[in-house]
Amino acid sequence: MASYIESFRFGEFIGSVLWLVFWILIIFSLVGLPLLFIVLFYVPLPPLGDEPLTPYLFLTMIVDPTRTIPIIKYMIHTDLFRVAAFPGFTYAALFAAVTIFVERKFLAKMQLRYGPLYVGKIEGWLQLAADGLKLISKEIIVPAAADKPIFWAAPIAFVSVAAAAAALIPVAPGWVVADIDVGIIAVFAIFGFFPLIALLFSWASNSKYPFIGGLRALHQIIAFEIPFIISALSVVILAGTLNLTGIVESQIASYWFVFFLPISAFVFYLSSLAELERIPFDLPEAESEIVAGWITETSGMIYGLIQLGTYLKLYALAALFVVLFLGGWSGPIIFPQEIIPGYTGEKIYNPVTLSAIFWFTIKTFGVIMLMLLPRGISPRIRIDILLHTGWYKLIVLSFINMFVALALIYGGILGPEGLLVR
Amino acid sequence: MAGETAADFTPILYMLGFGLVASVPALILSRLLSPRRRYNPVKFLPMECGQMPTGEGRSHFMMQYYAYILMFVVFDVMSIFLYAWGSALFNIPRTATLPIIAFLGIMFAAMGYALYLAGRKGIW
Repeated sequence: MASYIESFRFGEFIGSVLWLVFWILIIFSLVGLPLLFIVLFYVPLPPLGDEPLTPYLFLTMIVDPTRTIPIIKYMIHTDLFRVAAFPGFTYAALFAAVTIFVERKFLAKMQLRYGPLYVGKIEGWLQLAADGLKLISKEIIVPAAADKPIFWAAPIAFVSVAAAAAALIPVAPGWVVADIDVGIIAVFAIFGFFPLIALLFSWASNSKYPFIGGLRALHQIIAFEIPFIISALSVVILAGTLNLTGIVESQIASYWFVFFLPISAFVFYLSSLAELERIPFDLPEAESEIVAGWITETSGMIYGLIQLGTYLKLYALAALFVVLFLGGWSGPIIFPQEIIPGYTGEKIYNPVTLSAIFWFTIKTFGVIMLMLLPRGISPRIRIDILLHTGWYKLIVLSFINMFVALALIYGGILGPEGLLVR
Repeated sequence: MAGETAADFTPILYMLGFGLVASVPALILSRLLSPRRRYNPVKFLPMECGQMPTGEGRSHFMMQYYAYILMFVVFDVMSIFLYAWGSALFNIPRTATLPIIAFLGIMFAAMGYALYLAGRKGIW
């Protein structure tokens, strides 16, 4: 079989990359730059203070960076910035990237290994970039009898739906992509798509192990959906609103809900582990039983996209835990009012928002570490034990804490007369 | 809790669209960069741990936990009803909790019976 292996030439790989770069440069200079100037000349742009944005002003801004502060302020309050960069996709994807790397190092340290070591001088920190390059340059193998449109569309749908779930998370006061009144129900609605995507993908790959894995994913996520929803119900009862920003504000006005609802927080944590298909609930991807579960037939960038989607989902669930139980962005303001002492120009940054983002990030990262922890210390459980845990135990536990919250409210300890200020 | 329009949900669609914009070029770029060797038909067979695959990929097999799927359809709706009550708890009189407790009692009885049936062997 050795005749099948062709020699890999690194020079050809570099050559193809350079060829792509060349074409991107050509297209940018022939299409992109004219488009930019058409926009600057003909599309009415926002006036900056007292003067409209003209190409002349645009060119002077390149020379004098302080004149760009108003336009930057305008830009970061547009929908596009929110969706693409800060509370939206890039923030969540950065979280996902850091989580993948930290997970590998953290699990390695727990099991007395080294983890990634060679790529990059310090602790192999470039491992993720190397893995990305590897995945993007690997061949995508689609099984011969697969349902090709669904097979190609499912990874894209997975990433998009995970991003849509991250859109509902409020990161700081006013900093949320979609601030809607029924935020928490919208989160559950979006998370309802994931078993569907797993089942569609497993059906489309027309293979035995993915099919078994897809059905397992369906059973598992459905078994833990009801504890997941009921454990968040007690938070809604205490906060009196379904809006995620409102839930955080009612915690800032009183105390974090994890102190009143510890059992709900525990049930929510376990159900998020099951939704994420992580150990000890990783039956849909059980390596020793069904190869890799519903992602058996993935290869190359399709696998990469599904991994990205999984970690975006991990970010969304950890952030939801922080929003529901750990007070969201609440915390002391630790940044000074001005960066440069004695600077009296245009206000550069808002210390309140910045400390809110800081606390939210710290808490979310802590919850993510807590979600990574069982992978290092726990074995996988059997599917009937999993269903038994979900249906018989966790539902009862979540209802118990709901009744405790009701008793506290009607007993006058919590609520408008008690500890919860409204 | 003023009424909201469908337009309030459009940022979610923007985010969904941005997910598409971010992931479709990754697949296209991968398709451009990666090799495509199609002369070996064996590698397009379904994965079966090195064996030649036998039988259908989408076979019928016994999934013994069908009862739980049926229960999900009922109790998921129950939990969403509870949200309608829970979000308005501070704005409604205390006596309004009694019908909810009765509703929960009926649902718990139904759930207990369903779980008992789901645990029995030989009828599924």
